Amino acid sequence: MTVRRGEIFGFLGANGAGKTTTIRMLCGLTKPTSGTGSIAGLDIWKDRFRIRSRFGYVPQKFSLYSDLTVIENLRFFGEAYGVPRGKILDRINKVLCDMDLELREGERAGRLSGGYKQLLAISCALIHEPTLLFLDEPTAGLDPTHRQQIWDLLYEFSQQGTTIFVTTHYMDEAERCTDVAFIDRGRLIGEGSPRDLKESLTGHILELQVEPAMTAMFEFRKLDGVYGADLRSGNLRIRVEDPDALLRSWQNHWPFPKLKFLGYSWVEPDMEDVFQAYSQGYYRQRRDQREPAEVGRNL
Amino acid sequence: MISWNAILAIAYKEFVHVWRDRRVVLLIVVLPPFFTFLFGHAFENSTIRDVPAMYFDADHSKESQQFLDLLKAKDTFDWMPWRGDPEGKVELFPAQVQAAIVIPHGWGRGLIEGEPLSIRAVLDGTDTNTAPSVQGELQETLGNYQSKQRDNLIENLPDEIIDLGKQLPVEIRHEFSSMMTPWDVKTEIRYNPKLSFIDYVMPGIVGLILQLLTVTLIASTVTREREVGTLSQLLVTPLRQSEIVIGKVLPYLVISMFLIASTIAVGSLHFGVKFAEPLLLSLTCFLFLLFSLGLGLLISVFSRTQTQAIQFSIFFLLPVMLLSGAFAPLNQLPRPVRMCSELFPLTHFCRAFRNVNLHRAHISPIAGDLLFLGIGTVVTCVCAAFLLRSIDE
Repeated sequence: MTVRRGEIFGFLGANGAGKTTTIRMLCGLTKPTSGTGSIAGLDIWKDRFRIRSRFGYVPQKFSLYSDLTVIENLRFFGEAYGVPRGKILDRINKVLCDMDLELREGERAGRLSGGYKQLLAISCALIHEPTLLFLDEPTAGLDPTHRQQIWDLLYEFSQQGTTIFVTTHYMDEAERCTDVAFIDRGRLIGEGSPRDLKESLTGHILELQVEPAMTAMFEFRKLDGVYGADLRSGNLRIRVEDPDALLRSWQNHWPFPKLKFLGYSWVEPDMEDVFQAYSQGYYRQRRDQREPAEVGRNL
Repeated sequence: MISWNAILAIAYKEFVHVWRDRRVVLLIVVLPPFFTFLFGHAFENSTIRDVPAMYFDADHSKESQQFLDLLKAKDTFDWMPWRGDPEGKVELFPAQVQAAIVIPHGWGRGLIEGEPLSIRAVLDGTDTNTAPSVQGELQETLGNYQSKQRDNLIENLPDEIIDLGKQLPVEIRHEFSSMMTPWDVKTEIRYNPKLSFIDYVMPGIVGLILQLLTVTLIASTVTREREVGTLSQLLVTPLRQSEIVIGKVLPYLVISMFLIASTIAVGSLHFGVKFAEPLLLSLTCFLFLLFSLGLGLLISVFSRTQTQAIQFSIFFLLPVMLLSGAFAPLNQLPRPVRMCSELFPLTHFCRAFRNVNLHRAHISPIAGDLLFLGIGTVVTCVCAAFLLRSIDE
């Protein structure tokens, strides 16, 4: 797996899939048990002390000093990252301005609302102007406004050439990345741009108009060859290994006497479908072609 | 190659943590002088006094009255009227006393007639200190009374006897007169001539308070960061472990220097303890605080939660309190236990402090203790820095 310079790389996986562990390994906080990784040619474990000044890390949990004020946190991390004395105030002011935190600079970090806490955490990770930013579920638990704000910021940094490595389990956010990778129980199961991944599923996603839809969902989930059945806007969206065969069989015989079949249509898969498909292992062409855990060759 | 900017950044941040926690500030400003005051008064005197005691004078003679008057003049006892049956078995506990004496009928006459009777004393042995000193006090008083009576006897000897005595061989006369005068030890007490216990115990009090505060204050610093998650944030910065360790010890060193000064001020102003050789004492305090902070930091790095850190601190401090010789001399302890005591910073602090302050020692007699404190500081801080490196939870 490779992340290119300037990319917004989405790292997706269910809870417990190993997203945080991967980020901690990349940051040199956890020793990899097997495999290798490198950032800008430096090994993520052996050279971890040398690469520390090059990236910023925003952990999943709020991890700043809540009894220090916004500006004190920024100053501390600036000094910890070795930002020169003369430049530190300029940096703080720039970050405060970028992050919309100017009005809160004197507030204690612990008293900020969730959204502002997250903005401050990103600010602290950016204070030394790193070229690479790791964000572990930066939008978890935030309202849509703050989520949007954070994504706008990520676009902006990406525009300025910062590489962004972000984990999430919001699939609408996966759509916003230039490239994504899926992991499941510590293994890479799919990788590519959102468009490529979705195209790889075209022809597999079927939307049925059936009544009653809820009963239908439970019935379809029991069928062989059906990997997922979900409700979308009143229709039933199913992911099937061989949808043509299924449709042909229904022309002869509709197997659900209690359900009324009203029609069907082929639909464009979204990232939710992609994620489900890959994590249930029913789409596996690409996975077998790739080597796992080759991270960050060209950052 | 460490950066002082980075160290100062951490030190400032640590200081702000303490400063913004007003309860901790209150704790460290008020408690050390208050405890010095309290413990100082508690240990001001080491002699036993006001032991509740009762007597029964079955003799009612002139002699028994004289002896009792001598006893009553002592501070050791707090005499109470006799409770219970003087003829039967003497029960101390129901009578709420720790000592009882019975002067038997015919005691005074026995002394005169050359058949002295024993005074009966009953002592409470629960507290192993009180009984022997009460016994000693009784024996001493009786001895005093006896020599007083003997002086009276010699004074009032008729002239014929004196003349008769002069006919004895000269050696026997000399021996006899030597027997008649009390033999004496000429005692000269050095280093603490007034035997004031407060002068002895002050370093113990100061050291114990500081030992407790330094270890518990610093023990939660790293674990707090670990719990909150800021430790990961700290460790992804280019800060070195050595910078983190120095930056964390520094503000607590300043704070504890202030605290030790406040306790010493109470010792000096309130208890009138004199402090000699300020430079050497300061060096002793400084190294002691550093070693204690190093130990606290080691506990902090080793523990995973703040609760654990406090638990470890308490279990470290418990033997320190009892075995470091803060309140009693170490030579009371058996040798193997004493070797264990030698590991504690407080042991070396108390010894060095007393050697300087009471024995007026210069650097060479305490160099060993100072060296131990210095090595302890380096070892604990290096270990803490090393453990900080193994960061996986």
